Amino acid sequence: MSTNGHTEKKRLTDPPATVKFRIQRREKEGASAYWETFEIKYRRNLNVISALMEIRKEPVTVDGKRTTPPVWDMSCLEQVCGICTMVIDGRVRQSCSALVDDLLLASGGDTISLQPMSKFPNVRDLKVDRSQMFEHLKQVHAWIELDGSHALGPGPHVSNELAQERYALSRCMTCGCCLEACPQYGDGNYIGPQAIAQARLFNMHPVGQITKEERLDGLMGDDGITACGNAQNCVKACPMSVPLTKAIYETNRDITVDALFGWLKK
Amino acid sequence: MAMKFSRTFLLRKLHQVTGVVPLGIFFFVHMFTNSKAMNGEANFEKAVQEIHDIPYLLLIEIFGIFVPLLFHSVYGVIISSESRMNVLSYGYARNWLYFVQRATGIFLFVFIFFHILNFRFGLIPGMNPTPVAGHADQAFNIIQMEFRTTWVLVLYIAGVVATAWHLAYGFFLFAVDWGIVIGEKAQKATLTACVGLAVLLSAVGINAAVSFVRPCGIFPQIMCEETKKSVKPAAERF
Repeated sequence: MSTNGHTEKKRLTDPPATVKFRIQRREKEGASAYWETFEIKYRRNLNVISALMEIRKEPVTVDGKRTTPPVWDMSCLEQVCGICTMVIDGRVRQSCSALVDDLLLASGGDTISLQPMSKFPNVRDLKVDRSQMFEHLKQVHAWIELDGSHALGPGPHVSNELAQERYALSRCMTCGCCLEACPQYGDGNYIGPQAIAQARLFNMHPVGQITKEERLDGLMGDDGITACGNAQNCVKACPMSVPLTKAIYETNRDITVDALFGWLKK
Repeated sequence: MAMKFSRTFLLRKLHQVTGVVPLGIFFFVHMFTNSKAMNGEANFEKAVQEIHDIPYLLLIEIFGIFVPLLFHSVYGVIISSESRMNVLSYGYARNWLYFVQRATGIFLFVFIFFHILNFRFGLIPGMNPTPVAGHADQAFNIIQMEFRTTWVLVLYIAGVVATAWHLAYGFFLFAVDWGIVIGEKAQKATLTACVGLAVLLSAVGINAAVSFVRPCGIFPQIMCEETKKSVKPAAERF
């Protein structure tokens, strides 16, 4: 997804009077899921979140059944925080930047389906618990150790190329798209591209490099980097264009050189 | 650096190495030997006999082929079973390749088992009863008899194409999993080379299979010499 340059969004030339939303619901974690369909009036520039807000005002299904308002997470509404991520028409993305016109143009129908991400515990309706991503960041030591809060002087110089590459990795907003789209992620048997890319980010830092070994250690467990299946869905699904696959393969090289053939240096 | 490898880490790396090194080399040798069928029965059977004459053959067969094959295929099925394939939702090219690698793997698990019983041991009921191993002098005829049945020939052609693809894409996977090929451009070039290799290996394999039912395979027969002739002195060649 290009962030530079303005492209005019395609719009429906003959929009329908109403749009249907088929929403996968769940009372609470562990309860069984069910579907409910709602119908709202179409208006220009409608996105999934504004449609959900409309539904929330009057939570009556197409069958005329009054129900509870659907629950979802949202915050920034500009595809920066990542919290409103859900599966829309079968594909994971942020609901704030999912325009109804685009979705209807892509599907050719009049119904949009909304589901919670399937790889995380479903708290209620479209809301998931994404704390496993935070656990993974802890597993790979995705931070830089400092000796103390005293002044350390100016930091080491880095090349512009390195800074650019690190910036690209730092754009990760921990939304979970990569993990949802990854065919290897699930059941705790793979740490996933998100944490690997953050390990790479801090391994590329001149100070972070000092504790590189700890990060690689965190990636060589049973759920480590070798569980990557190279389907490369992650990099396609990433809304922030984080170079996830490159981070994985560069870390693969680090592991091959430092861990697998490290004994040759002894 | 003293880093600890987990069990999964070692098994995955071993899975990648066994696929590329012993099984990869074996497939190249296998296709080379098969291709000798282009030049007729005598040539092929001589090649089979030469394999029989390799020193330490039994040890090579067990530790160079059978053990790596058993590990690679069983662990491969385990890896495939852990997958949550989603090509229908995310139909990207690489995702399809991911799917095909697992699909060919499962197919080859069954096919290679069948193939070994069929030719190495002659144990498939209702099919060839003579093992090729120990009967080099009958090797060509055994295979020819089987390949005259269309479905058997088609099955073997499917097997050889699946193996060629699985191996060639396996080379690509090895290159990325060991951090040899990293960038997007480099990966594209490597993948193109691997697709080329897959096409080449498939063509060689299919041609070798056809050679058992038609001399010289799919090529004009003028390209192949049926009877083995000794090389003439340079002066006589022209």
